[in-house]
Amino acid sequence: MSLRNPTEHDFEFDVPAIETLATYVTAYGLGILFLIPLYQMFVLSITPTDELGSFSWFPEDVTFAYWSWVLFEQPLIYRWIFNTLLIATVTTLLVLVFDSLIAFSLTRLEWPGRKLVLGIIVSSFMVPAFVNIIPLFQVINQLGMMNSYWAVILPFTAGPLGVFLLYQFFRDIPEELEEAARMDGFSTFRIYAQIILPLSVPILSALGLFTFVWSWNQFLWPLIVLNSDAMYTIPIGAVTLQSVYGEFANRLMTMLAIVSLPLFIVFLLFQEKLISSVQLQGTTG
Amino acid sequence: MSTSDHRLLDRLGGDYVDRETIEGLLFAAPYLIVFVVFLAVPLVYGLYMSFFEWNFLNPDQSEFVGLENYRTIIADGRFHTALLQTFYFVFLTVPAMTVLGVVMALGVNRGIKGTRFLQFAYFVPYVTTVSIVGLLWVQMYGANGVFTQYTAWLFGRVLSDTSLAMPGLALTTVWWQVGFFFAILLAARQSVPEHLYEAAKLDGAGTIRMTWDITIPQMKNSIIFCVIAGTILQFQVFGQPFVMTDGGPAGSTETAVFYLYELGFRTFDLGYGAAVGYVIMVILIAISLVNYYVIEETVN
Repeated sequence: MSLRNPTEHDFEFDVPAIETLATYVTAYGLGILFLIPLYQMFVLSITPTDELGSFSWFPEDVTFAYWSWVLFEQPLIYRWIFNTLLIATVTTLLVLVFDSLIAFSLTRLEWPGRKLVLGIIVSSFMVPAFVNIIPLFQVINQLGMMNSYWAVILPFTAGPLGVFLLYQFFRDIPEELEEAARMDGFSTFRIYAQIILPLSVPILSALGLFTFVWSWNQFLWPLIVLNSDAMYTIPIGAVTLQSVYGEFANRLMTMLAIVSLPLFIVFLLFQEKLISSVQLQGTTG
Repeated sequence: MSTSDHRLLDRLGGDYVDRETIEGLLFAAPYLIVFVVFLAVPLVYGLYMSFFEWNFLNPDQSEFVGLENYRTIIADGRFHTALLQTFYFVFLTVPAMTVLGVVMALGVNRGIKGTRFLQFAYFVPYVTTVSIVGLLWVQMYGANGVFTQYTAWLFGRVLSDTSLAMPGLALTTVWWQVGFFFAILLAARQSVPEHLYEAAKLDGAGTIRMTWDITIPQMKNSIIFCVIAGTILQFQVFGQPFVMTDGGPAGSTETAVFYLYELGFRTFDLGYGAAVGYVIMVILIAISLVNYYVIEETVN
């Protein structure tokens, strides 16, 4: 490093420096642009009503009145958070149990027709969920499930993605392990619960996280089957706020900020894991 | 499974069915039940409904109309417009998200500082629910919103303009969904073997050359995946027009699934709606197959 020719140094330094600068400008420029909507949400939530008449990046006065108004005087918000949390949690647990059981059965147990079953499940990937909304609505209605948590939870668990992901993963777990276990007198269920599941924790947690977030965010189906304030999930409840508080951007944005907080926290805690669970879909598709 | 279960299984199995078959079916049963009840049955039932003038309140009194619903679709201008507008939406969003996703992935991979922040910024919209996304952007496109503040001189009020409302929804969607493209393309970029670049560097290739000749071709499969998956997902757009424009102004943001929702849950035209759902599904499967074969051809 000591005796470098300065001219040559400058000459070589130029191109990478410009490239690095361009990368920083592009990457951070996009990053900042992407955060503007969220920034606006938080800024508006602390803007007093008399300043709403015109646009500004920073309000002159700051008020947390709307935060306390929502937090202390809008109990419905908590109900929606509870509903969403309950639906997303139960959906995630059921998806993990159902999908791992059948994936185990399809990869580890010999029974007639399993190839056909696998074929049908995989081909159901081709069916976009919305095609079913009208007949599914009839089915839910016949089962007397309208406006219930089950109406949202159960159709979600029928999706084939998790089965397919776990099928691929279980298939690649070596057979030797379970043969040894069978020698030791393990039942089939113990092989599933004590050998296969512990080996699959990374994929199960990715699938679980993914299912949780997507079930939390689902919109079209709960919009159809949930029809009372007290049953709404956050995504559905939020829409109803527009007609009530649309005039008051600060109140509306405070509510949106508060109802989006739980998932932002989940995201901050599991950022890497969540991104890799999305990447997982790219490698299976 | 306890030992008593095993004895039960043995007894059930008897000589006729072996135990592995019973266990296999028991393990498969919970998923198969939800699959059949909430996916397979509705799929078949929907086809059945599509041949009826369906009576919502008394399904027994539905009138069989044969292929009448499908004939109506052929002449249904509103449906055709919705389909065209959906294709337009896909055309506005998927290429933009692919290019932007590649730019983001390459940028984050260049060893710059703060990649965790950048990943957060690019990806966090993707985990936000569509109704919150929609209401945020309605505010931004509104009279005192940040978007209007800086672009009113050029665009006016985006969401009340029949020719700008759909591009407005597309911009919102790019912001919301590009994280999916970014995540997948970042993984693809990270799996390009480094030694390819070392050889090229020795040959004196610059960054742009290397990006174009090595990185992009190496990422080709993932880019193709993004385009196909993106097309299928964006074709199903519903929440943005529902929350932001209610299909307006003047029906200019009415999409295929939005129309399906209108038929099923606003005008309760269930038989016709079921038929429309089937037609959309056939179109989507056709798009997937065409995509698939075109790609098979080009890759091989």
